[in-house]
Amino acid sequence: MKQHTLSKTAERIYWLGRYLERAESTARLVNVNGNLLIDLPRRIPLSWISLIDIMGTRAHFLEHYETPDERSVVRYLTTDPNNPGSLLSSLSLARENARTIREIMPRVAFEYLNDLYLYAKERASGTMSRSRTSDMMEGVMRRVQHIAGFLSGTMLHGDTWSFLRIGEFLERADMTTRIIDVRSVDMQDPAVGLEPYSQLQWRSVLRSLHALQAFHLAVQEPIQQSLVLEFLFTNDALPRSLAYCTSRIRSSLRTLPRNQKPLSAINRVIRFLDSVDVATLKDADLHTFIDDCQRHLSYLDKEIDRTYFHARLRVAEPQSQTQTKRSTTSA
Amino acid sequence: MPIDWSSYQAIGIWDELVTERGRPRTGASELCRMLSSMSDDELLARKTAAEVAIRTMGITFTVYTGEGSGSIDREWPFDIIPRILLKSEWDVIENGLKQRVGALNRFIDDVYHDQRILDDGVVPRELIEKSKDFRPECLGVSPAHGVWSHVCGTDLVRDADGAVYVLEDNLRVPSGVSYMLENREVMKRVFPELFENYRILPIDDYADQLVRTLRSLSPRRIASPEVVVLTPGIYNSAYFEHAYLAQAMACELVEGSDLVVGKDDCVYMRTIEGLIRVDVIYRRIDDLFLDPQMFRSDSVLGVPGLMRAWRMGNVALANAPGCGVADDKVIYTYVPEIIRYYAGEEPILPNVPSYRCVEKESRDYVIDNIEKMVVKPANESGGYGMLIGPKSTKVEREKFVRQILANPRNYMAQPMLILSSAPTLVNNHAEPRHLDLRPFILSGSSTYVTTGGLTRVAMRKGSTVVNSSQGGGSKDTWIVDYE
Repeated sequence: MKQHTLSKTAERIYWLGRYLERAESTARLVNVNGNLLIDLPRRIPLSWISLIDIMGTRAHFLEHYETPDERSVVRYLTTDPNNPGSLLSSLSLARENARTIREIMPRVAFEYLNDLYLYAKERASGTMSRSRTSDMMEGVMRRVQHIAGFLSGTMLHGDTWSFLRIGEFLERADMTTRIIDVRSVDMQDPAVGLEPYSQLQWRSVLRSLHALQAFHLAVQEPIQQSLVLEFLFTNDALPRSLAYCTSRIRSSLRTLPRNQKPLSAINRVIRFLDSVDVATLKDADLHTFIDDCQRHLSYLDKEIDRTYFHARLRVAEPQSQTQTKRSTTSA
Repeated sequence: MPIDWSSYQAIGIWDELVTERGRPRTGASELCRMLSSMSDDELLARKTAAEVAIRTMGITFTVYTGEGSGSIDREWPFDIIPRILLKSEWDVIENGLKQRVGALNRFIDDVYHDQRILDDGVVPRELIEKSKDFRPECLGVSPAHGVWSHVCGTDLVRDADGAVYVLEDNLRVPSGVSYMLENREVMKRVFPELFENYRILPIDDYADQLVRTLRSLSPRRIASPEVVVLTPGIYNSAYFEHAYLAQAMACELVEGSDLVVGKDDCVYMRTIEGLIRVDVIYRRIDDLFLDPQMFRSDSVLGVPGLMRAWRMGNVALANAPGCGVADDKVIYTYVPEIIRYYAGEEPILPNVPSYRCVEKESRDYVIDNIEKMVVKPANESGGYGMLIGPKSTKVEREKFVRQILANPRNYMAQPMLILSSAPTLVNNHAEPRHLDLRPFILSGSSTYVTTGGLTRVAMRKGSTVVNSSQGGGSKDTWIVDYE
């Protein structure tokens, strides 16, 4: 007989997916920023604070650090236990979520996760040179990819798998919009003086999403804002594009029971994305568009939460164990 | 320096592997030979391999570090030298355990129904009625097959003369079986070659046996009853085991908040599909936390209405509430009589000789000889609240004498046993350390005993405290067929 997925289990694996994805994005972001700074002229005062802005935690950062220099920002983003969004916190939360659902994953998956957490924790002390940081970020990315690949190759692709994927893609879609948002704001600010280096910036955005090579392959044009935006939002073959992420979320939701409301929420996101020609967006319009995207994604997150994790389930209704109807219709 | 068995000294102790003259016992010679052929470096490498395996497998137990400061996970302490028992000896122990647990289950069922054994004066009625683990709420309830303690973890010890005794019957929610299983996995990774040379009986069918036992309790006669494991949550010291067993049985691991009792007095779990009816709950939380409506109203671990559902026969609880009544250390002293009463046979496994403080003659003896005795309160576990006479101070002994006189029903005493030992790696040398053995007995429509059990070892020299919460370690336990 099929095992039933507890609401709590679904919630935890969803968050496992989100935290793992977040850890990987953070690691890549830190590394890419290091590389970007090497390429930019020294007089450009591009600060590390924009990484904090991507995470949306500037106020929290400034409570704990005096200046947003490289060391502080990298420490805050990677190993700071006071930052609930740091790489180490994400890995710790991923592990804690996994720990409570060990029974639904291949046992060795928890070993890998445990190992990943210990790997990062052991390297979290002492001063971090740029090359040490870079090695650690590489190590984290490789291990997250290994776990994701392992889960994909071994886990039962049933309900819990769907929740893992939804968490992963929702986080990824969210992160993609954040990176684009902050980087484009940097470029609008004449004080930053980045305008002439726009191409470098967009190249770094693509790198942050591990999509540079893919861009060259798919677009075959020089890098420029409109093409990058179009690529990152609408290319349905790029695993980190909004189009791809939202379509994966929709297909995962379709396999789940009682999915009407979350499905209509994801359809709203998709319709919204389709309704705008991103290539033409600039400055404030782009920012507003991204804000709206994030609002739609956050609504989807709430709808999933309400439907599956914290449903007010009515007691004493006659329940049938086997014939729970699964809607596969989309709105 | 490699291990030299002739200089290994377990004087006045029964050692499980080596005789007093430094020679391996039957069944242990190959192991001893192999260990003594290994260089210090090799031995250390195996020990390190075991530690790495335990770390990466995430085998942990949780220790409370005190009020307010929460708890921490420690890696499971494991000694790489296994403990060996011959199958011929084990067969006797296994039969003894079946006999004992069978009789105890009949006793519990009797206590909550006709109380014949009390009427017949074999066990004093007063003892039961004053027991804090007697639950009047359970009177008249009839669990499937008349079985109350479905999973029992009996503690066995061996004294200096080589005889095996039952030290405790853990009838309520015994833990440790996952460590027994994991110890074997670690051992296979660390010493694969030993498994080729020995006929070590496998232990890995435990989860299948457990799920079979639990399913046999289902109130609904359906092909695949819904079985869940109920845990207090990840901060419980045995959470590792709860998750381990749920996974091994492929059933849901639930917390109280995942379950709800409906207006139809049936139990449901909250799933992404909605509510699903639950037939059998393998509960790993104590009686008093099961149901805030019936017991402790401040319990957030339990499920309101659960006892009502159980009493109406809509859900099976394993172990059944109230089975702790037979797990009281004073009731323990009556187990030989209980076995004779229900089974009409002599007990196969003896009790440790015990004195009931409630009887004047015994009480006087205990008080006169308290510095030689181990005094145990009726209802504590994990080694708490005991007096170990030979290691106690005068003040402690006087305090216990006062406690015994104030509440004699609550105490029993045993002479201090000299627990057997086995070679244990200490600073890369083999030294004798005391140990015990906890086999697990499953009872449902039939009875099953694990092949061997969990061997716990006191890592400190001379100590007999084997509890992992107090510095105990463990060993893989081999039942070897040597005929």
